[in-house]
Amino acid sequence: MSGHRRTITFTLNGRDVAADIGVHQNLTEVLQESFGLFGARESCGQGLCGCCTVLVDGQAVTSCLSLAAFADGSTIDTIEGLADGDTLSPEQEAFIETGAFQCGYCTPGFILMTKQLLDENPEPSDEEIMHYLSGNLCRCGAYAEIVKAVRLAGQKRKA
Amino acid sequence: MHFFELAEPASLQEAIGLLGDSGGRPVAGGTAVMLMMKTGVFQPERLVSLRKIESQYSQIRLDSEGNLRLGAMTPLRRIERSADVAAVAPVVTAAMRRLSNVRVRNVATLGGHLAHGDPHLDLPPVLIALNASLVVASPSGERTMPVEDLFRGYLETALAPDELIAEVIVPANPDQRAAYLKHTTRSAEDWPALGIAVALTLNGGTVETARVAIGAATDTPRRLTSVETMLIGNPHNDAVLQTTGDATAGEAEVHSDARGSAAYKRELIRVFTARAIRQAVEGDRA
Repeated sequence: MSGHRRTITFTLNGRDVAADIGVHQNLTEVLQESFGLFGARESCGQGLCGCCTVLVDGQAVTSCLSLAAFADGSTIDTIEGLADGDTLSPEQEAFIETGAFQCGYCTPGFILMTKQLLDENPEPSDEEIMHYLSGNLCRCGAYAEIVKAVRLAGQKRKA
Repeated sequence: MHFFELAEPASLQEAIGLLGDSGGRPVAGGTAVMLMMKTGVFQPERLVSLRKIESQYSQIRLDSEGNLRLGAMTPLRRIERSADVAAVAPVVTAAMRRLSNVRVRNVATLGGHLAHGDPHLDLPPVLIALNASLVVASPSGERTMPVEDLFRGYLETALAPDELIAEVIVPANPDQRAAYLKHTTRSAEDWPALGIAVALTLNGGTVETARVAIGAATDTPRRLTSVETMLIGNPHNDAVLQTTGDATAGEAEVHSDARGSAAYKRELIRVFTARAIRQAVEGDRA
């Protein structure tokens, strides 16, 4: 199919959805404009800050550098889908309990990266945590608390 | 971003047919293409996505001679986690640790990383040092070229508009030791001011073969052949390393930019050449 617009279908936070998109649109824009999901937000626009992190087919990606058209047929999970109703995920609880943020702008990206890190490596060392999260920037500087939050999230997931 | 059309062919041959005179420009993982389109420096009317071509182009395998064969569409993260890559070319695995970040490595492909022709990227010097080659596909068939012949200028490669990298071949060399070092001057995740890769074999205390390649400080990734010549047949002692470092000063043309002055980068090359050789000699086989 050619042309500047197309319809894509994908699974968004467990629900089958469709969206009419511009081929030039990135995934952050479509999540915001078509679905009202603002947890992933474009900040640096260059893949450095991690504020637009979403999981595509279980893998963390920079959604502001992903064409939305490439999401056709995929499974996408955003921060909005992480809680089960009113029950927060272990990663969300851990960030709150350790105070691992101030303004909260970068937090969705950090939490999704934390989830993926712990999926891959349930007991990361502090060095592994810092290395894995090196592509996420927190301008409030809550890094020390974020490392604690990841450790706590790992413990909560095992409990 | 500007409007464009997107084609998603299901085979490499079909993709090649949409390039060149047909007006399409290829996109794989899309990281670099998106950055260039967002800033407006690249405004294609039609993108040809390679994401749906045959899965063989995103596979990692060892051939009958033990050489590593990496499909050009393989994401960097899969290369980072591959046991075959770690066995044949551990220096590639190690280089991934400081190559951008996990999210980018999840998406960016090996072929795109090379075809982008950006001298600041990490794997070009590593693959040049390892004497890797490319299988390039075009409407008239396939050709093979050394990775070191790919780079012609800043963001400029030897690929014709209707050619695509299909595969990267890293020759098996069990006796080889290698190292890759990079230096960033502004922050850890910044583009490097210098990347340098060394691959050598030893015979007792003497260097038998050596390939040294640099990126970032120069317009294109390139070998430092004067260093290689000085190393081969000589012991790898401090005196020789000092001389080889000094020999780099005139060989590569470097430019001043936000990551350092030309004089500073020449000093980086001098110091890091010796460091990389020492790490290759002293480190685990790589």
